Amino acid sequence: MAYGFEAKNDSGKVIINDTIENLHFIGKATHDSQYTGYTNFPTYSGANDTLDGNTICYYTITCSGTPVPFIKPTDYSRWTGIIKQSVSGQTWTFHVMCSGASTGNMPQIYCFVNADDIAIPSGETHGMIVFKADGSTKTFDSRRQPLAITGGGNALPPVDPTNSSGLPGVTNNAAWQSSSLDHDFRSGNQYTAYSDSNINTSNTMFSCPSIAQAVYSRVINGYKSSNIPWYEGGGSQEHWSTAWWWVMYRSTFRLRSGNFDAGWTCYQAGYWYSENYESGGWFSGGSGGYTSGNRPYDNKTINRQANAYIIADSSRYD
Amino acid sequence: MSYGLSVFKADGSLGFSTADVTWQTVAQFTVAANATVVNTYSEIAGMTVIAQRQLVNVPPAAQEDYVPNVTVSNNSQTITVAPQSGLSSSQCIIHVLAQDT
Repeated sequence: MAYGFEAKNDSGKVIINDTIENLHFIGKATHDSQYTGYTNFPTYSGANDTLDGNTICYYTITCSGTPVPFIKPTDYSRWTGIIKQSVSGQTWTFHVMCSGASTGNMPQIYCFVNADDIAIPSGETHGMIVFKADGSTKTFDSRRQPLAITGGGNALPPVDPTNSSGLPGVTNNAAWQSSSLDHDFRSGNQYTAYSDSNINTSNTMFSCPSIAQAVYSRVINGYKSSNIPWYEGGGSQEHWSTAWWWVMYRSTFRLRSGNFDAGWTCYQAGYWYSENYESGGWFSGGSGGYTSGNRPYDNKTINRQANAYIIADSSRYD
Repeated sequence: MSYGLSVFKADGSLGFSTADVTWQTVAQFTVAANATVVNTYSEIAGMTVIAQRQLVNVPPAAQEDYVPNVTVSNNSQTITVAPQSGLSSSQCIIHVLAQDT
């Protein structure tokens, strides 16, 4: 280069220059509130009622520029993912979903922005700044910690988010009033592991938005035909029932020693049951049932695409 | 270290140095629902490029939200963001990051 600034690392790769901006740490987002849910199927009780549960936490940070958030787990056994990021003025809100219903041990969110978006108090007058050729846009500012990474790659969760073997389906002609769930909708065993020897469960944090979603259902249709006694008029009477469980998932991630895991956590769930029978004999027809929530869309996994993840050491920014 | 660049924090501890590895940020932009955006950055020619996608304002009812596809082409210089084939896409934040190769 004829002018400007360029720093290469020990591998000869450019890490600072005057054309591309470095990300710098601007602080941790503030944990404002959270809500919990879905430790089981609403309105259903019986076999396989248990779900992983979730806690959705809200975090905010005010800054110019668009922050790149990193999740630093406090409880590394929980699955976490940022499912939504929005802005009002310069205040950014992150919705972070964690597996499990405990409101303790929520993760911390470390935020990074471009060098040029850092607000530096007037009293901080020492350090090194690298500008672009325009002489005003910063690419590097030593007064804030630049992002240094320890690993990364592309993450892809498995198609099937449910612990039971195979995807749940539809059974017809089961016994009338069948309403016992035979599929495990939890997700703890369903993940793709990416090996990375730099990952530990003390300081490691990651950046990887949750984009994959899935909805799956188990449906059991019951039926019986009963004979009507001759003294009630004879013939037959048909009975139908439907039991329908559904779960919506969002992709979430977990750090284990030596591994980055891409998996799933239940986001919503519902149960629907109905039964009816036709008129016959001395009895008129009838129906009944109950429902909880609406299935967002038909069974499928969407947005299952290679998603870039970045691994870093949070202790540099504490 | 005997050569290179070290940047120290105000407390004197090492903050960043030429022993480190990083991703530099090329661009950040928000793509509107169903929009197609093509941006070219000549300064990242030949570099390794990744793009993170973050959905914005996903409705609480969690409807079917599709992220747009991101493709990197033209010797890593061109970033194309477009809806998945045959699907509408939701509003999405795109972070384009580059690393020297």
